[in-house]
Amino acid sequence: MAPCRGQGKDCNAREEVAGVATKGLTEITVWYRGITEGKISRDIVNSLAKAAEREGFYTQAFDNYGDLPDRVYVPCRSYARISDSPIAEPYLYENDHPAIVAVVEPTMLKGVPVLKGLRPGGVLVVNSDQEPQSLLRYMSDIDLSNLGAIATVRAGGGALEGALSGIEGATDVSGMGGGAAGPIAGAIARISGIVELSSLEAVVIDPSGARRGFEEVKVHWLGAEGYSPGEAPHDEHRALGEEVPAIIPSPVGENDGMITGNWRFLRPVINQEKCTQCRVCDIYCPDACINPDPAGFTVNLKYCKGCGICWTECPVKGAITPVPELDFADGVVRFMI
Amino acid sequence: MGKKMKLAGTAAVAQAVKAADVDVICSYPIRPYTATMIELARMVATGELDAEFVHGEGEHAQLSVVLGASAAGARVFTGTSGVGFTYAMEVLSPISGEFHPVQCMVGNRTLDPPGDFGSEHTEAMTGRDQGWIMGWAESPQEAFDNTLIYYRIGEDPRVMLPQFPCQDGYFITHIPDVVELPEPGQVEKFLPPFRPKHSLDPAKPVIMGPQCRADQGAAIELGRTNAMKRARQVIPEVIKDFGLQFGRYYDPFVEKYKTEDAEFIFVGQGAHARTAKSFVDMARASGQKVGVARLRFMRPFPYEDLAQAIGHAKVVGILENSNSFGSVLDSGPVTIETRAALYDLEKRPKVLTFMEGLGGEVVRLNDFAWMYKIMKEAAGLRNPTPKVFWVGFDTGAIQEA
Repeated sequence: MAPCRGQGKDCNAREEVAGVATKGLTEITVWYRGITEGKISRDIVNSLAKAAEREGFYTQAFDNYGDLPDRVYVPCRSYARISDSPIAEPYLYENDHPAIVAVVEPTMLKGVPVLKGLRPGGVLVVNSDQEPQSLLRYMSDIDLSNLGAIATVRAGGGALEGALSGIEGATDVSGMGGGAAGPIAGAIARISGIVELSSLEAVVIDPSGARRGFEEVKVHWLGAEGYSPGEAPHDEHRALGEEVPAIIPSPVGENDGMITGNWRFLRPVINQEKCTQCRVCDIYCPDACINPDPAGFTVNLKYCKGCGICWTECPVKGAITPVPELDFADGVVRFMI
Repeated sequence: MGKKMKLAGTAAVAQAVKAADVDVICSYPIRPYTATMIELARMVATGELDAEFVHGEGEHAQLSVVLGASAAGARVFTGTSGVGFTYAMEVLSPISGEFHPVQCMVGNRTLDPPGDFGSEHTEAMTGRDQGWIMGWAESPQEAFDNTLIYYRIGEDPRVMLPQFPCQDGYFITHIPDVVELPEPGQVEKFLPPFRPKHSLDPAKPVIMGPQCRADQGAAIELGRTNAMKRARQVIPEVIKDFGLQFGRYYDPFVEKYKTEDAEFIFVGQGAHARTAKSFVDMARASGQKVGVARLRFMRPFPYEDLAQAIGHAKVVGILENSNSFGSVLDSGPVTIETRAALYDLEKRPKVLTFMEGLGGEVVRLNDFAWMYKIMKEAAGLRNPTPKVFWVGFDTGAIQEA
């Protein structure tokens, strides 16, 4: 909604209306990496929405417009909205208060505000080989008080095949719910009960995958109480806003308005013993993320996208090595425009 | 009944273009229109649609290509958004001035700045004085229907004008909803093949848009003016025929949503008018006499229908999703047109304007509650001021001027 800027008491009336509008509405948010996992994410929201439709619910499924046009590995979101009555506000950009959040690629737990706006008792489903409780270590900076459960499912990776089908509101002609999407949707169905497994199996091209996710999901329950669909969200009111200038000072050196470290799932690690300080990595890095400190070259993890150019161009074998980002507890960059 | 699919507005339009058996398509990508291009390119590539698909090198080229193709007698389609629309501006008047019933879909996008992707109607509104039929859809289904309806209106020999069927970016273009597709044969009955009286033919040469003297200019402009006036007669005929053929009956010009006994009426178009209807349903449940007059056309502007629909209200609240900097009350085109439409009434409602959704900002039900509260306060005032409110901003309390 447009924020209630400086209109104190009027805001109360607005919240009453918001409560009615969201009654019986469940929002599902899926985080994915741009291009490579877009198809998986769209399939998750589309198959859950379609399954719910079969059960007589009113639904919407769509991509976050602002995250698109997506670029490779950029964190993006898809949404489903499932309601027991016609959706009164069909035209919103985002899910403000999801009850279900899914993450297609687990490194994103370190890079995005994954539980933003989560309803009390909401659930988080992560595509990961790890035990669910072990993922909490990447979220130590996040308020987990609303989290009802964290779950993991080993759904597999994202194939690029068909990745663009259905992008930007176009029609998907490659079939829905194959690959990793089925198991993730199945896991969501199991721990949230948002749809029956049979409904999901009826709408995906790989019912066995959906069933596998449903059966194999690992859940770690937390303390937060169950989600009540009737509860009104509390809108955050921005401070009184006047004009926003169209000409602003340019950031110099680092831009805190566009942090790109959360694109990375492989981290370049420099072996100082082997590094000859030839600066090839520094010259090739498209984001100037190599700091050529004579005491030892370092990487600016706030902006390093993990693109791989440095370790590809480095002429010294073993001087720069790609290491999975989840092997490190540090390097958390909680950023989303 | 035809097959039902969940389609975003962009994909729905592509289905309608296919159903209309368009001959020539010229495209250049810009969000949010892009998906229509993606869909049509796929249809042409797979042979689903037999049409010439031309890649324009920009929007100016897009409109130029379809101008030429239309002049040669082809049914043509193109589309654009935001700054693409304004880049094509030069070609708009030649197309309507030469009476080429080109269709150019607009997926609304805010102009720069603010440079975001959000939907605002301003870009299309800059083309409202170029002799094109123009109006907004509130759903992917209406976007589908408008594609067919606009071709039929534009290609009517009494009209022969180009058309801008518009849809709010993202809200309509990118959020899928149920669309009923036509049964085989249905569209052919509603929309016969395009057979213009004049087309470029070496055996029968004509000059389209000849250079003229200044003293001939007014008479040439009169031609376009009269064509647009005749469109006012043609539109109700076409809408009625569409209803008979497809079973979806639209109010030709203004959807009167619970306006009959309403004391407070919102006037708007497109996606936000759809949300306004949700608000009206909720407010009616608690006995509030409120309605929505949803404009289905901006050009020709239905001033008589609108005055009839809202003239009895105590307070009219205009949902202004465009900006016309320095205009009457520093508002936008819907305000200017609506106020003018009401001017000749003996007893006029009070008119407030809500600048809403500019830059693509979301407008929610609770914002409508806030607007409605101001409208109710205005009812008790002889001459309320201010008359323009920016949704989400502190514009000060409404009071007697």
